[in-house]
Amino acid sequence: MAGEDDRSHLFSYIENRFGIPETLFDDYLLFNTKRSWVLLKKSLHIETASHLKVSKVGLRAFQRVGNFVKPTTRFIQTFGRFASKAKLQINMVQLRTLLEGGEIPVDLKLDNGYVVLAASANRVLGLGFLINGKIRSQLPKKEIRSAMLNMASNKTIVSQNQHKEDSSC
Amino acid sequence: MTGLFEEYSEIIPDFFLFQESLQRPIPTHLRINRMLIEPASLIHLLEKKGIQLIQSSRRYDTLYLAPELTSPGNLLEYFLGYIHPQALTSSIAALALAPKDSSYLLDMCAAPGGKSSHCAQLMNNTGLIVSNDLYASRHISLGHTLSRLGVLNAVVTGYQAQEFPLKQRFDYVLADVPCSCEGKFRKTRDTSSYRENKGKEKLPDLQKKIILRGFDLLQENGQMLYSTCTYNPEENESVVNVLLKERDAELLPIDVGFDFEPGITEWKDNKYDKQLKNAVRFYPHRTDSVGFFMARIGRRR
Repeated sequence: MAGEDDRSHLFSYIENRFGIPETLFDDYLLFNTKRSWVLLKKSLHIETASHLKVSKVGLRAFQRVGNFVKPTTRFIQTFGRFASKAKLQINMVQLRTLLEGGEIPVDLKLDNGYVVLAASANRVLGLGFLINGKIRSQLPKKEIRSAMLNMASNKTIVSQNQHKEDSSC
Repeated sequence: MTGLFEEYSEIIPDFFLFQESLQRPIPTHLRINRMLIEPASLIHLLEKKGIQLIQSSRRYDTLYLAPELTSPGNLLEYFLGYIHPQALTSSIAALALAPKDSSYLLDMCAAPGGKSSHCAQLMNNTGLIVSNDLYASRHISLGHTLSRLGVLNAVVTGYQAQEFPLKQRFDYVLADVPCSCEGKFRKTRDTSSYRENKGKEKLPDLQKKIILRGFDLLQENGQMLYSTCTYNPEENESVVNVLLKERDAELLPIDVGFDFEPGITEWKDNKYDKQLKNAVRFYPHRTDSVGFFMARIGRRR
């Protein structure tokens, strides 16, 4: 389990940067591995399960990138809707620009650092990085295929390079 | 197509219609992930893209047929974790088990994670799910599904299902066991996942071991769901019958609001426990999806 220092450091950063209340994470345990931190909902059953050999716990929430700590896309997609600052709504054209490696100029009164990117108020895409008035993508390029950016009818979507999703039976 | 599954002609009603249904492609069904979005919002988003959704059952506002959508993985909403493409009958498994909030659940053969994530959704991301799968290579797809859908109450383990450690007892056990996948035939006729007779004889032995271990892992008032996507009675009723013989188990009724046939009590020269009528068989000509078998199991009182 991650120490109190880690916990306080990470969640106070989330609150200070994005306005996501630190108290939101009171119901979660934070575990750390060498390069990342994972979040698991508190439960009475965790102690019972503690002797099991586990290969993955909860949701990976933060990862170490060099000397920095970066919230993961999935963490931001899950909790980003609670963000009250450092949140930027972008349209599909801007999203495409970011995914193609471009930058979006913005006028935000914010220190350089991570920004929540959203397609609408509650539709959080992931993170961008603000540096000197421009946003760069921190979105997982491999996971967002070009077909996803097509806002036309489903018939168009179907005709694109089709992705074999991991549907289950 | 003639002759296909002919050995089941006595147990599958309207057998001709069944065979005919196998010639149609399997429709695309989506489960809306309420952990990240409300169904009404998602429907609105997809409607704006010209994608029509038809609710699969009035009882469940998260299960939909997407008649013209062939590749839901290409939607941005897939990346956002709002939808999970899942066969309708596969979604019914978690609904039949109906795990409650804050419970302790074991998914014995969990990859690729559709049912585990559905259970997490039904449990409102509370309690704890142990999503087990033997093969480390399958943990990648399992982990990906759980993360994408925002599951926060699961851990992944890699035990052999039939040897899962007995040190704890679960409120719910889901045993969606390896099977011959006959029920997927329509969508997998050009792939190798339909095993036909290859290895089919060996499966019931493994399935019996798994169902016994699953039952032994249940706590006193616990419930288990045994499921397969095959029509083969040797992998279905025959396996559950062994459990009923060897343990103090009883079969509980399943009420999920979809068309199904009851489990069978006779097959070839075998007679099964009458309780097997409480098991359910989903056929594609009744519920247009993957063929499935399910049995809900509790401890006999």
